[in-house]
Amino acid sequence: MLRIDASPNRITTWTLSWFLFAAGIALYFYTSHSRHIENPEDKVVPSLTQLAQGTADAFLKPDSEQKDAGPAEGSLPAKFFSSMLWTDTVASSKRFAWSMALLVPAVLLGLHMGMFPIIGTFFLRFILFFDKIIALSVLPILFIAFGIDELSKVMLIVIGVTPTIILDSFNLTKSVPPEQIVKGFTLGAHDFGVTYRIVMKQILPRVLNSIRLNLKSIMLFLFAGEMIASQDGLAFRIALLRRHMGMNVIIPYVLWVALLLFLVDLTMRLLNKKIHPWFREA
Amino acid sequence: MPNRALAFILTSLLVSACGSKPAAAPKPSFVVGWSVYVGWNPWYYMAKSGILNKWADKYNVAIRVQRFDYAPSLDAFVAKNIDACAMTNMEALDMPASANIDTTSIITGDYSNGNDALMTRHDLKLDQLPGHKVLLVEKTVSQYLFERALTLNGLEKKIDQVKLVNTSDSDIATAFIGDTSQDAVVTWKPMVSQIAKQKDVKTLFNSSQIPGEIVDLMVVRTDILKRPDGSGERFAKALAGAWYETTKLMSGPAGADTDKVLKEIAAGSEDTLESYKEQLSTTNLFYAPQAAADFTTNPEFKTKMNLVRQFCFNHALLGANTKSVDDVGIQFPDGSVQGSKDRITLRFNANYMQMAAQGKL
Repeated sequence: MLRIDASPNRITTWTLSWFLFAAGIALYFYTSHSRHIENPEDKVVPSLTQLAQGTADAFLKPDSEQKDAGPAEGSLPAKFFSSMLWTDTVASSKRFAWSMALLVPAVLLGLHMGMFPIIGTFFLRFILFFDKIIALSVLPILFIAFGIDELSKVMLIVIGVTPTIILDSFNLTKSVPPEQIVKGFTLGAHDFGVTYRIVMKQILPRVLNSIRLNLKSIMLFLFAGEMIASQDGLAFRIALLRRHMGMNVIIPYVLWVALLLFLVDLTMRLLNKKIHPWFREA
Repeated sequence: MPNRALAFILTSLLVSACGSKPAAAPKPSFVVGWSVYVGWNPWYYMAKSGILNKWADKYNVAIRVQRFDYAPSLDAFVAKNIDACAMTNMEALDMPASANIDTTSIITGDYSNGNDALMTRHDLKLDQLPGHKVLLVEKTVSQYLFERALTLNGLEKKIDQVKLVNTSDSDIATAFIGDTSQDAVVTWKPMVSQIAKQKDVKTLFNSSQIPGEIVDLMVVRTDILKRPDGSGERFAKALAGAWYETTKLMSGPAGADTDKVLKEIAAGSEDTLESYKEQLSTTNLFYAPQAAADFTTNPEFKTKMNLVRQFCFNHALLGANTKSVDDVGIQFPDGSVQGSKDRITLRFNANYMQMAAQGKL
């Protein structure tokens, strides 16, 4: 069975890969069931009915505290786009998109640090140091510098994630074989030609992968920021629902966030494959 | 060889498990959860000084005291991981009671008499708040205090126009102090004291203007209290006995002895004696059991609980499917019930405080 040259057939593969999901779900509902026998209104481990109710509320009803929420009427899509889940997703996505956009200069900085020794010496030591600062432990400084509104949430992500991306781009740049750079020069390329058309092209697929690996950190910082102070967003809702054990809504939210992250990751992977068809690593 | 090692470990585990079993019938054991707050720190002192153990021995039970953050302590109580917990009257209603966990309050410890406050910058007045942002932990006593402040000043209709920013209580002080563009904040002590020290910050409203509405309790699950073997009753008696022995020490004649007790209580939250005393000054702590019992049995307490339950219902804190504020029943010491008589899940019991007052513990 456990041989490295084993080749499981389709049924085995299917069963094996879904087994832990099934076991997890079964364990959950077993726990939920036994808790509901003891207390029919248990909120800690909601039953299927409670979960369905919570999911419906999250996906189809606007936030009950929202002041300008009109009566939820109309078609399903209309209801969905005015639901609290959707408004929270939009709010969080904006912050997410901003922080992703700010990773572009980070990659460029890493590239130039790797190519131009003067820029490299200027930044490298500082960024190596900065990378080791735990952003969440210096919150008071962040509050003074960036306030507590939108900017601070984006900056928390940027401070937490960009040093890693800069250093990674730097290292990838350094790992491009020097022969290629020399070859570029002998063929008449200039500094920037070599930088953008030889080196950047090669590191880009790996940089994209490195950003993919950091998606979870980005999300973690986003959640931390929204839980510290906010008026909307996915983590804001989860923090609020925790105050009265709204697990039947929290669980759908958590699954939704997992789905979104999976989709972002998948999109980036497909995009990478599309623009860099020659790239053969994972 | 590895198998033998495994067998050895398993056997030794088994032996040690058997060995640790006491020969005599085990005492029923209970866990009490508490979190850092001026009115709850005494629980830390009670456990550390041995006062609690003394009372537990007297009633032949074992009591362990465990410190939590506030929200996790409530979660643990609702999940039935702990038997008793320190919480406010509002959370007792919107956490365990609304989750159908029958809960009995056995000690009315204190009420906030200025510990919670609404503060503003830039000379902002209450009637100017609509349209501005307020930092607070939503759906807690902070929001309650905020709504009461506006209601009492005739601004009830404008509550909706204030933008609330849900801010974590661990960061709210630094957030408000650090970002000077923020106009208003509602929080509790010790954060209130730090914020109040800032220049240009004024306190517009505090809980001494709504005395007796934010009450701190020690609650026990009713099924524990009603255990047929009577151990739950004994547990409650031990808690009450230890509590009032401690409050007596705390309220002793001013001097070195009392200060020593207060200092050790303050150490429960790594606080100083001065700071703890300052917090006590805005806390109406019922040092005497009679005062606590009188407060709990006073009909006025019902009016106050009514305000709290209305707030909880308005903000869906009694559960999203609650149709009416009466869905959760609250029983008072005289037997009267607020809300549904068929579904009483929060009970105020003054017996233990009264027993303590009569010296019957």
